[in-house]
Amino acid sequence: MRQAIHILRKDVRYLWIETTVALIAAGLLAFTGVRQAYALTRPEITHGIATAAMLLPFLLPIAWWTLIVRAVYAETLTGDRQFWPTRPYAWRSLLAAKWLLILLFVNMPLFLAQTAIVLSAGFPLSPQLAGLLWTQVLLTVAFDLPVAAVAALTTGVVQFLLCVLIVFASSMALSMGSMRITMAFAGGGWRGMEWIETYYSLLLIAIVGAAILIWQYRTRRTVPARVLAGLALLILALGAPFSWSTAFAIQSHFSRLHVDEASLHAGLFTNFQWATRAIVNRDGSVSLHIPLELSGVPGDLEPRTEGLTVRIEGAGGAIWDKNEAPWAEVSTNGRLIALQTTVDGAFYQKVKDQPVSLRGYLYLTLYGNQRVTRVPFDDHTQPVPGLGLCSASGGGNAPYFLSCNSTFRPPSELVSVAFGEGPNEGTPYSRPQVHSYSPLPAELSLNPVNPFVQWSTSKKVLDAATVVSVEPLAHVRAAIAIDGLRLGEHEVRIK
Amino acid sequence: MTSPIHTRGLVKRYRGTVALDSFDLDVPEGSIYGLVGPNGAGKTTCIKVLMNLARATSGRGEVLGADTRRLGPAQFAQIGYVSENQKLPDWMTVEYFMNYLRPFYPTWDETLAADLIRQFDLPRSRELRHLSHGMRMKAAMASALAYRPKLIVLDEPFTGLDPLVRDELIEGLLPSAENTTVFISSHDLGEIESFASHIGFLDHGRLQFSEDMGSLAGRFREIEVTLPVDKAAPKPDQCPPAWLNAQQSASVFRFVDSRFEEERTAAQLRGLFGEAAQVAVNPMPLRAIFVTLAKASRKAA
Repeated sequence: MRQAIHILRKDVRYLWIETTVALIAAGLLAFTGVRQAYALTRPEITHGIATAAMLLPFLLPIAWWTLIVRAVYAETLTGDRQFWPTRPYAWRSLLAAKWLLILLFVNMPLFLAQTAIVLSAGFPLSPQLAGLLWTQVLLTVAFDLPVAAVAALTTGVVQFLLCVLIVFASSMALSMGSMRITMAFAGGGWRGMEWIETYYSLLLIAIVGAAILIWQYRTRRTVPARVLAGLALLILALGAPFSWSTAFAIQSHFSRLHVDEASLHAGLFTNFQWATRAIVNRDGSVSLHIPLELSGVPGDLEPRTEGLTVRIEGAGGAIWDKNEAPWAEVSTNGRLIALQTTVDGAFYQKVKDQPVSLRGYLYLTLYGNQRVTRVPFDDHTQPVPGLGLCSASGGGNAPYFLSCNSTFRPPSELVSVAFGEGPNEGTPYSRPQVHSYSPLPAELSLNPVNPFVQWSTSKKVLDAATVVSVEPLAHVRAAIAIDGLRLGEHEVRIK
Repeated sequence: MTSPIHTRGLVKRYRGTVALDSFDLDVPEGSIYGLVGPNGAGKTTCIKVLMNLARATSGRGEVLGADTRRLGPAQFAQIGYVSENQKLPDWMTVEYFMNYLRPFYPTWDETLAADLIRQFDLPRSRELRHLSHGMRMKAAMASALAYRPKLIVLDEPFTGLDPLVRDELIEGLLPSAENTTVFISSHDLGEIESFASHIGFLDHGRLQFSEDMGSLAGRFREIEVTLPVDKAAPKPDQCPPAWLNAQQSASVFRFVDSRFEEERTAAQLRGLFGEAAQVAVNPMPLRAIFVTLAKASRKAA
């Protein structure tokens, strides 16, 4: 450890400009973040602060990147002309020195800046510690490790940038090339479960990044390390090696409420049977729209569809079983759920006059634990489920505002906000549009505070905004069983 | 007596090019061993393999009793390595460089370090990047001698240096060499000859010979034979293999005997030229030996 500290002191002296810039950037983040959090209740944010806040997501990573790369290059790992490999450096001490530098000038400043921002936004510290610490883990895995690993494989900034460029171009090409694979597995349908794919990538980066760094600092044999990096890149570019339904199964493990799947069923919605369609497209394929009736959902829970898989079987043994995009096979309009899939024209012609059976699963998220919170227009901050810390203001000639701050990730609750008896009253759950079902306490962002503002221009005298929230409690599958459906009877031809 | 540097069958290939080929070496403890050879002979590769800066393709090497592939802090604390193309931390001042290295070495001698800085006339407060090549080499040398290493390894330390700096380096090195082993690669034969106790000749990655200077100087002789009028010079295949670079001009036949022994050589000469030939036997400086060997090697290739 003594040697690590000795090397660290040398690096701090050597990289005084880079460390100073990183500290100033982190200080700027704290300053703008605190000002923005303060402006929640008093929208007095200046143009300068807004500009700085906008630039920081670029400036801060560049400052960190420069610091990490230069720190690694201070004892270059590639090549055979550097002075240090023939000196009594212990590789563990050298690696520890570099990580201490990164912790001191990248991670720690961000931790302190985020702590300041969270406290200034009025959040108590102890419930935020998990988010603060998890952000550190994410920063280390998603930023520190890959940057340090690439620096450990290259000899200079030019080679580093060239390497990043090649990595970017080849991963784009690979991703394009493997688009069909990616689409088959996931496509754009991960939505709330995207965190599973993200953490798969982060896990791979963490393992490979750590392996490269340890290998390089221990042996300085760059060729095998570069091969490993290339392989990891290839695997990353190919995307998650598990299907959407596997991701859903993983997500189900994090359900907070146990719901017996055996009690959930989806069948033909007989009241809406008239809405069944078999639309024959110009290219011969047939788009099926079949209304589904979901039963067995406990009365206090509200289902939201996530995806659907289906297998269609004709009486003669013809089978349609292609579920490449489960998230696109279902549509919801109010309470009406509809299976919508496109089948091959040849298959349709074969089975259209036979009774067919449909088997599959409807993937659902069940929301519940509804909570109603009144937020008076008195400028006082109060906790609001689903929105974080909120305050409401306005009245007189000014519009009514509901301003809220949540930390580390937008809440996964569905929320509807109503201003008195205005046109917003009874608004269906609207927020968040993009949400995550991740059980982990944070996503990687510089400013840990997520603002949310809603307003009303109502001329009426209102005393409070009302927030209704429900939270995702369970991720479950409902078995689909439809028998004896004759698709030909619902045929519609596009002319 | 153990050998501070010991290799057996060391091979190093770079994409099909053989840089070291079946390299066997034993450097005697306490010796000043000069590894000489023409450019591209493999001297630097040899030192890089010995210092674990490059990996041997096959074979094995030991430095201070440790496998070269496993050289670690314990061994490097006893090795002083200086190379002409080593990248030093340019941003450090001479003083900071020495102070920075001090804690790495348990045997660091502060007084010796100060003496070396003074002896080499190094400006303490100047950054290494602002030093001339010669001054940088002196700084590197001072930093490699200040902890009294058991083994000093120098890779072409005199290349590009003016004679004055060269002398200063040697003067700084020699007192330190009293209780240590010095392994030095160079093609500056004049300098090597002045202080090396042992010499190894490397050519095309192969060690052609390795012996102490006394024996080397003793077995190489330039021989000039003035032939009698009726005597023709021998054909090359009539000459013993140890006779190198044989050539004739008018009635004088010259060659270098690489296995000179007074009685044996005299008998060989009598056998080929008879009693009437006049023979002049001259000792050879290292440079002349090196040139002879290099020419012979090229001819053979």
